[in-house]
Order: sequence, then C-alpha cells, then structure tokens
Amino acid sequence: MLLGVLFLVFFLLHLTGDPVTLMVSRHASPSEIAALRQELGFDRPILVQFWDYLTNALQGDFGHSFRYRQPAMNLVMERIPATIELASVALFMAILMGVTIGILGGSNPNSILDSLARGIGLLGQTIPTFWLGLILIIIFSVNLGWFPTYGRSTFELFGLNIPDKSIVLPAFALSLFTTGQLARFTRSAVLEVMNEEYVTTARSKGLRKIRIYSRYILKNSAIPMISIIGVQFSYLLSGSIYIETIFSWPGLGNLLAEAVSTRDFFLVQATAFFTSFVVIGLQLVTDLIYMLVDPRIRYR
Amino acid sequence: MKKIHGKYLWFILLALVLAGAVLVGGCAEEVVEEEPVDEEPVDEEPVDEEPAEEAVLRVALTTNPNTIEPATGDTRTASNVAWSIFESLVWLNDEGEIVPSLARDWTISEDGTLYTFELREDVYFHNGDKFTAEDVYFTWERGQGSDITYREDFLAVADMNIIDEYTVEVVLDEPNAMLLLQMNEHWGILSKDYHEEVGEDGYMQSPVGTGPFMFVEWRAGDRIELEAFEDYWDDGYPKVDRVVYRPIPESSTRYAALMADEIDIVSGLAPEQAESIMAVEDEEDVKLVSYPHDRVFYITFNNMTTGIGTPIEEQEVRQAMSYAIDYDLIIDRIFDGHAERTAGFVVPGNLGYDPSIEPYPYDPEKALELLAEAGYPDGFSIEMAGPSDTYVNFEDVLQAVAGFWGEVGIEVDLEFMESGRFWDLQASRELPPLFGDSWSSSMGEAYPRLLGSVGGEDASYAAWLDPKLVDMVRQIELTPDDNERAAVYTEILEYMHEDPPFIYLYQPTAFEAINERVQNYNPRVSEQYYLKGVGIE
Repeated sequence: MLLGVLFLVFFLLHLTGDPVTLMVSRHASPSEIAALRQELGFDRPILVQFWDYLTNALQGDFGHSFRYRQPAMNLVMERIPATIELASVALFMAILMGVTIGILGGSNPNSILDSLARGIGLLGQTIPTFWLGLILIIIFSVNLGWFPTYGRSTFELFGLNIPDKSIVLPAFALSLFTTGQLARFTRSAVLEVMNEEYVTTARSKGLRKIRIYSRYILKNSAIPMISIIGVQFSYLLSGSIYIETIFSWPGLGNLLAEAVSTRDFFLVQATAFFTSFVVIGLQLVTDLIYMLVDPRIRYR
Repeated sequence: MKKIHGKYLWFILLALVLAGAVLVGGCAEEVVEEEPVDEEPVDEEPVDEEPAEEAVLRVALTTNPNTIEPATGDTRTASNVAWSIFESLVWLNDEGEIVPSLARDWTISEDGTLYTFELREDVYFHNGDKFTAEDVYFTWERGQGSDITYREDFLAVADMNIIDEYTVEVVLDEPNAMLLLQMNEHWGILSKDYHEEVGEDGYMQSPVGTGPFMFVEWRAGDRIELEAFEDYWDDGYPKVDRVVYRPIPESSTRYAALMADEIDIVSGLAPEQAESIMAVEDEEDVKLVSYPHDRVFYITFNNMTTGIGTPIEEQEVRQAMSYAIDYDLIIDRIFDGHAERTAGFVVPGNLGYDPSIEPYPYDPEKALELLAEAGYPDGFSIEMAGPSDTYVNFEDVLQAVAGFWGEVGIEVDLEFMESGRFWDLQASRELPPLFGDSWSSSMGEAYPRLLGSVGGEDASYAAWLDPKLVDMVRQIELTPDDNERAAVYTEILEYMHEDPPFIYLYQPTAFEAINERVQNYNPRVSEQYYLKGVGIE
C-alpha cells in the first residue's frame, strides 16, 4: 500500500515537469539550466529516477529538499509535533462537542434539541473552514482580544512544550467538520439503540437514566463512533493545509502547501509518505480498539 | 471480559467529564482574563516577557525563508531577513547610491577590470572572529558552488588576490558596471573560520555575519529571532534590542495580527485590506505604507519561435495592439485604481527613467489605422498564454486585454496554464506568439529585467530577439559611469517604446502597514527593507 502511494505521488509530481526552472535565477542561460538538470538527475528516464528514489527510500533516505538544502524527512519530523498537538486537541473538542450534541439529539428525537443537533451536524460539515477561520480570528482575536491571531506559542511543563491558548482557535476551526460528523453518527446510533428491546427492558426495570445511557445506549453505539473517530483522527493528523495556513500554525499542512507551490518534490514525497503511514497505522489501531470494545469481534 | 468493559466505559466517561471541567475552567479563566484586554496580546508574545524596556520589533514574513543567507535565500522574504545578519563590501543606500559598508573605500582601474577594496579594520563577526580579507576570498569561493542560487553573481569575478589582511583585488575578464550592485545583492560576507568549524549545513542553520543583528533562534514555520549585536562596527546601530520575524502566509491573518497589535510591520497586503487600514488610520495606531512595486506586468511578443511568420513581427501591428487597450479602465475596474501605468521596462525610480516618454494612450481608431497600414484591415487570429493563480487578478487582466483586441478585429485564443508548466514552456520557448508575465528588479536599475527579457539567445526566458537591443543591453554592462549608463537606459526605453517587444500593462501598488510606534521604516520599490536604522518609540 505504501509502495502504491510512493508510486502515485512520484509520477503525479513528475507529470508537472521538474523544479529546475524554479531553482535557477531568471536570467539563467539555457546551458546553465541544462547543467543543473543533469546534476540533479532530472534528465534521466523517469523509471530510473523512480527506482533510485525507491531504493533510497527503503533505506530511510527520502532525498534532500531542494529549497531548504536539508534531508526532506528531517523537515517533516520538525513539523510533526505541532500537527499532532493540533489534531489531538481538535479531536478532543470534536468528541466532546459531537458526542454530547449527538446524545442530546438522539435521546430526544424530533424535539427542538434534536433539530438543533441536526443543524449543528450539518453546519459543521458544510461550513468552509477557510472562511470560518478568518471569522474566528476577527471575532475572538481582533475584536475581543481573547486569543492570539496566529502562530503557536508554548509553555514548558515537566520538560515538555505544551501549547497555550494559541491552539484554541485553530483546533476549534479544525474540529468542526469532525464534530458535525460525530454528532450525526452519534445521534443516529443512539436513536437506533434507544428502540432496542434491552433498553426498554432496562427502563421498565426502573434503572436510573445515567445507568441506562452509560451501560446500554452509549456502549452499544460505540462501534460506529470509534470507526469514525479513527478515520477522522488520521484525517486531522495529516495536517490541514487551510487551517495551518490561516493560523500560521507551523505544522505539516503549512509545510506541504509551501512544498507544492515551490515544487520541492522530495519534500512533497516525504510528507505524503508520512501521511499515508499515519493513516494506515491508525486504521490498524482502530481495528484493535474494536476488539476491546466488542468482544464478539475477533481477528484470526 | 464484561468487567473490563465497564471499566473502559467509565474511564471514557470520566475522561469526558474531566475534559468538560477543564474546558469550562479554561473558559472561566478566559472570562476573568477578559478584563485587562489591553494587556492580553502582550501576554501572547514570549519575547514580551523580557524586561519592559527592551525594544522588540515584530515583523511578519509573507513566506517561510528557505535559508537566511543572501546567496542562497530564494525569495525577497529570505533576503530581507538575511541582510539583518549579513553585510556586503558595499551597500546601496536609500538614495540609490553605492556607499561603503565592509569596504572603507575602493578604486577601479582605468579599463574597469580591476577593483581594489580597502576593508574596514574594526569589524567582528557575531561569534567574535575578526573580519579580514580571507573571509571575502572565502565568500567568493563558496559562492561559485553549483548549489548556490545566485552563483552567477560570484562567477562574474574571474579572480581575487589578497594583498594584505585588509586589502583585496577583484579581477574581472571584462568591465562589468553591475559588479557593485551584484555584490550589494548577494555577497553577504561569511566567516571562513566559522564555516570550517560547522560546515555548510551548520552555517545555514545557525548563521554568523557581521551585520547589526545576530542570530538567536529559528523555529521552522514559526519564528526567527535575532538580537542586537553589541560589537557592531557602526556605532549607534541597530536601534532596537531584538527582532522577531513571524511567517504569516495568509494576508488576512497578517492584517488581523496588525490590528490586534501582535505585529509591528506587515507587507503584502491586499488592496481591500489597505483600504480598511486607511479608513481607521486616524483612530488606530496603524499606518499604511504604499508604493508602486518595481515589477512590470507585460505581454510579450514571441519572435524567437512560435511567433515567426505571424503578424506580430510587424512593428505597426505591435503598436496597434498597444493602442487598442484601455489600460486605465483595466486598472480602475480590476485593481480599484491601485496600480500605475508604465511606458516601458525602465520605471520611475530606475536609473535613466525619462518621464517624457509616456505610456501608449487608448486609441482604437489609431489601432485600426495602423492595422490597415500593416495589411490587416480585418484583423487576424492569434494565440496567447498566461500563468494561472500566480499573480493577483492577472487572469482577469489578460481576458480584458483579449476583449479589447477583439474590438479591433484581433481574435485571441487565450490559454491559462499551471505556473510551473508555464515557466517550463517559457524556458524551452514553446509558449504561443503572445504570453503575459511579469518581471521585477531589485537593483534600482532595470538591468536584470532587460537582460532576462531581451538579452538574446543566452537568456532562457527571452522571447523577443532584436540584435540592436541585445547590443544596447550589453552596453549597460560596459558603462560603469552612472550618468553615461543612465543615457543608455533612456535610449533603450525610447527604442522599446517606439518598436515595442511588449505590451506594457502596469506596475502593481505594493501595500504594507506598520504600527505607529515604528520609526524610520522605509521599504524600497523592490520590496526590500533594512532594519538597521528602524526604531521603536
């Protein structure tokens, strides 16, 4: 699978030409351009270039970024902590808001609360994050002054760099799509389980509401929610180009946007490789969590 | 198994409750903090945690620099940071004159091929190394490496002789009137000893120069911090204690950061943001800075490849096409008036600019007349290309131009391409007979623009070949005297106006904004700025 990703990214990028013309000054002569192309190996047949790249990648060498003149994977690694922070906080916010809204909606079908839940679910999934990010900045940073407009600042705690409130706005903007999705899924899962006979039984036994929710309803709606959370987390972890650009968050998305516009091939490839690695890895983790939640699921 | 489940679920619930509590607590905290709103943004900047009297200048960058060293930094952003840390032998001052910097003085031989530089003897690098002729030699040697972006500015020097510790001779194969400007652009002097100690990669990551500010920290994508160099040779400089550069790629965010007083200098603002700043300048502590950017947008005629045998080879046709466009309407409608017309590639502020040469007026009648004279009374069809998503509103401009030409019978088949592909095709001269692009210059002279666009076969991106023009451009290099060179430029401007290789469209207006506390900030038309003399009230 990873091989497929490498292959696809490599050939798609090379379809666009090569970065040589972006690397020389604009009054370079044709011979200078040709010399650089030869030096960087872009004049070789594309299959040879791919084979070269692949064999190096298998040994952990993902090539040098042309622009930064540094190993591409180092640049990716440098940006990962910021993206992980943002993704984790966004996921946390999404679970908190999405699940709460979903439960409230699902357990009071067709009430005002339910319409509100459905509305928020829809809004979360359809609102353009780019626009939302700017609106959040204008309201909460420029007008109210509660949060910084951009950037990532941290404080140190037990030797770790912990992001301060600068993470709130970007994480919120990033979380909204996942919130919407979680709200909708939780709502329908809760709605479905609510009508199960074991819930009616539990009710008729006179169990307390909180016990019914925690032991019967939530637990049985957990499976679809976990798969959504797994998929969404890998999506969040691959770095959001829009959110990171708007909030100048120094993560992967920010790096990727720049690498693409400057045709920094090896850097784009390294970022894509890392992202697919994360997606596949998280899928595995999600499957393992299923097992933990529902003992009927077994992998042999 | 069941028990484990129960625990697991309770764990989730507990986590949710805790999280809720934290969030509510966080919100409550926010509300409490809301009172002293004015102090809020100050808390955000870690740099402001320093003693209050420290003067910190916060500058927004429009892109992430690839390096912060003048010979390899590939954007204006990169070189603007680099020139806070590095210095060259000479410096182009705000008045456009070449003045001494690390060189106290220099002499040029009669034939213009030998430059002798007397170096300052009181200069130290940030790491304490003394600056000597060895460092100049080393910088030149390293600058010729194949991985140096601006190596041609170092290859311009054929040889260098170290006469003594503070004297170097620079030898050229032939006179080069541009040499000092090239040095000013890309020759940031490196410390030879430090380079030997840390290597090229180490140097790029933790650069050491002789400039007013020394490097402190670079957090990728987040910030670059510099602090004043105490042993700086030019007494009284720099004027602030610390500079913090923050890359903010999105212009709306830059604007917001300025309005929230989180940044002191922002560049690359959009016209609508500039207008909203203008509207609040009286009430808020912000000030707009605008100037016509030294970048000419043009449509070139391609007589080197695809345009051969097409009507554009005729001078009258090119003149007619220049007359057929209502430039003012384009500037008014597409840029809300925020652009300047230009009569050629030598623009106001460039050496040799002559205001008496005026841009082509909009005169469709005259255009029709000229077309008829050239033998195309019914017009003709032709192809044109442009890069997409590269320049602000440029697609709209090209479409408008095609529309105006349509009115005089010239049917244009317009194609937009992804910019990378567009430039590849431009370098391999495979673009159609007409294409639109832009060309900037940062030397205070139009030389790079002229060399690149009409410099002959050796200029990869040139599409127009006129041997007379190639000679005239060559003449610029061979004329070290400023007044004589200015005359050459004026002659070129006139020639290219009469027999136009290009449709000269406009110079965009650049918008920057600063906090009112910032003193003495003078960005140049090339979007370059030097922070050496910039202060904070």
